[in-house]
Amino acid sequence: MSIQKMKKLRLVAIRSKKEELLRELIRLGCVEFSEQDTAGNEQAVRESSQLMSLKSQRTALVGAVNTLGKYAPVKSSLLAPTPEFDGEVLLDDSDIEAAMQVTATIEGSEDRIRRANAEDSRQRGIIESLAPWMKLDLPLEQDGTERTIILKGTFPVRQSLDAVANALRQVSEEAELFPVSDDKTAHYALIVCMKEDAAAMQETLRTFGFAAAAVTGMIGTAKECTAAAEAAIKALAAEKEEATKAIVAQAGQRDALKLAADKLQAKIAMAEAEETMLGTEKTVVMEGWMPADKEEELGKLFDAYDCAWEAEEPAEEEYPNVPVKLVNNKFTNALNMVTNMYSLPAYGTVDPNPLMAPFFILFFGLMMADIGYGIIMIIAAVVALKKMKPREGNLAFAQLLLYGGISTTLCGVLTGGLFSDIPKQVYDIVNPNGNWQGLWNLFSPETDSTLVLYGSMVLGVLHLNTGLAVNFSQKLKRGEVASAVFEELSLWIMLVGGLVWGSTMLFSGVSPVVGKVGLGILAVGTAMLLFGSGREEKGFGKITAAFGCIYNTATGWFGDILSYSRIMALMLAGGVVGKVFNTVAVMPAKNAGGFNVVTFIVFVLIFTIGHVLNFALNLLGCYVHDLRLQCLEFFGKFYQDGGKAFKPLKFEGDYVRAKEN
Amino acid sequence: MENILMTIGGKAIAMMGAALAGALACVGSAKGTGITGEAGAGLVSEDPSKSGKVMILQVIPGTQGLYGFVIFFLAFLKISAVDTISLMQGGQIFFACLPIALGGWLSAVAQGKVAAASINILAKKPDDWSKGMIMCIVVEFYAILCLLASFLMLNAITL
Repeated sequence: MSIQKMKKLRLVAIRSKKEELLRELIRLGCVEFSEQDTAGNEQAVRESSQLMSLKSQRTALVGAVNTLGKYAPVKSSLLAPTPEFDGEVLLDDSDIEAAMQVTATIEGSEDRIRRANAEDSRQRGIIESLAPWMKLDLPLEQDGTERTIILKGTFPVRQSLDAVANALRQVSEEAELFPVSDDKTAHYALIVCMKEDAAAMQETLRTFGFAAAAVTGMIGTAKECTAAAEAAIKALAAEKEEATKAIVAQAGQRDALKLAADKLQAKIAMAEAEETMLGTEKTVVMEGWMPADKEEELGKLFDAYDCAWEAEEPAEEEYPNVPVKLVNNKFTNALNMVTNMYSLPAYGTVDPNPLMAPFFILFFGLMMADIGYGIIMIIAAVVALKKMKPREGNLAFAQLLLYGGISTTLCGVLTGGLFSDIPKQVYDIVNPNGNWQGLWNLFSPETDSTLVLYGSMVLGVLHLNTGLAVNFSQKLKRGEVASAVFEELSLWIMLVGGLVWGSTMLFSGVSPVVGKVGLGILAVGTAMLLFGSGREEKGFGKITAAFGCIYNTATGWFGDILSYSRIMALMLAGGVVGKVFNTVAVMPAKNAGGFNVVTFIVFVLIFTIGHVLNFALNLLGCYVHDLRLQCLEFFGKFYQDGGKAFKPLKFEGDYVRAKEN
Repeated sequence: MENILMTIGGKAIAMMGAALAGALACVGSAKGTGITGEAGAGLVSEDPSKSGKVMILQVIPGTQGLYGFVIFFLAFLKISAVDTISLMQGGQIFFACLPIALGGWLSAVAQGKVAAASINILAKKPDDWSKGMIMCIVVEFYAILCLLASFLMLNAITL
């Protein structure tokens, strides 16, 4: 509901108790350490830790877990909650050594597999390169006799081997060309000639595009070499299988490895905290932030460890450095999803969650507006909350899904949407002569689209003015009365004036005097706004400021309010797409004059696929567009972002988590 | 000119609109999902475990085809419900179909490019892939507006 008040903590502890103190702090999880400046502090030096070696150990462990996942995959249930352990267990590092040994075994086996794979593809390459020479009985290493040389190589397909043979014979009578094989790209051939003619022969061959074959370094005929390579591949496969088995044999250690990895994560967090500290021979000095309401609890702990400590409220100029933690109840916590995605509020400003919550949830419901979809969302959210026991980000997501679902259901009741218009469509099939008009609705986006459009914009005006009101009160709090009056109050005066003036046009019988009064109020508001815009400018600057102000206010507000028409657009689009799917789904039944087994199956199939698609699309679309209305239009009116998140020293793992205190 | 149009007839002109709404939007979606699929296949070849997320990104530019089909369907129902359609009414249906035909087609291609680029996010920063999805949905909105424009116009035409 608000931004947590923080206190700056300075603490000097006895070196021998440092580790124990850190273990207590990670369990409490409410102190963030900040880097200290060593400048001008000759006695103290930065504390060192084993951070690097811990990190590389953890990387190896995570690698081993992933390798296990690759060779011995386990199906994990999507809804399974993360395993929980006591803080005591997570801080006990006695079994990390054993886990590292398992990791070494797995890494060794994976390395064997990797090397075998490389060798395997090398052998396959050899087989491939030998394939054209299989018909050749000559050992491949044979490159000549006492008087002759033997050349093996390829000619491009376009060359005729007869022509080559003729040309060779012209160079030397004794030269002979033996074709070996052909494929799509080349002729493979063997050439025998006298040693003394070799140079001239090479010259002639080059003109025909001859390229020497890449079969050097092999002993025996092509057949023998291929057989040897095949045998090697077989041996490699056995080697790979053996290594894979060795990895799979460690599958039982998976949970132990995961636990060890997260134990190391805790050690890494503590090491990182250590590196922010300064130390002398006997003491360590730490600095950081803690929530003001934890001061008493932490104070007792610090006293028990004989620490010298102080906690003070941050001065205003320190605010940019104060970490921000939002304190929310069950309802507003859901909106952390939005706030975290955008940017946290600056320390000392307002927490947007409680302001945003009612609007976000209402807008979402209006855009989705379907009883069926809403109930699915509620069920999904309740199942996730009960089974997964989510925390932090996932908790906010599940809560938002739940509230969004409730709101979607209620708005669905108002618009009469249940999987679009399925009750009516099915009724028409079952009861062709009936004249039921479908579910009751207060308004339907299809028939009352203009009303819904204006309604969306009215909601927008309310939303924007809430933002304006927040800014107004913030300014008053900071003592910027003039700015609040000229920039916010003036707009409200204009709004009231405009409404009064407009009432004469909307309702007949209102006295024209009322209209004039309205115009008067509007003029006063405008004058205030213009005066306000130029009050810090001089001379000609006042006039340009006034024009700029008119332009910005008019276009800004116009654009902002029109933007809320997306509420109507999404409400209508979801309904229309769903309706078309329904129409297609009941079409076979309609043509057959009623449901039978086939038409019913077709109906269920098309209905399910269509609505799954429409639901997923709407869920995403409504969330994103709701997000935009909050972050762009609403936040634009008052929000000061830029807070950095409070990151206390606490258990944070990928696989397991600590039990909550 | 009018003679030529008269020979073609209102019904054919209306059908041309419905055909364009269905076809062009589907062409766009095919292109969009195609571009994303190409980029996605590259990633999946490196890391098959991301295929689920790649698929989600790939189907996002597929919705325009769906919207085009919705308008095609509504127009077709309208057309096939009556025997003859005047030239003027045929023209009205034709123009009502244009927003989703053009908007669906071009926005699907544009969205496909964003989705393909988002595959990069998925490859390099897997935790932030949902941000890529959000960028895609921004493009989606204009396809929705086109759908609505076509729908509202079609709804206003009585035969």
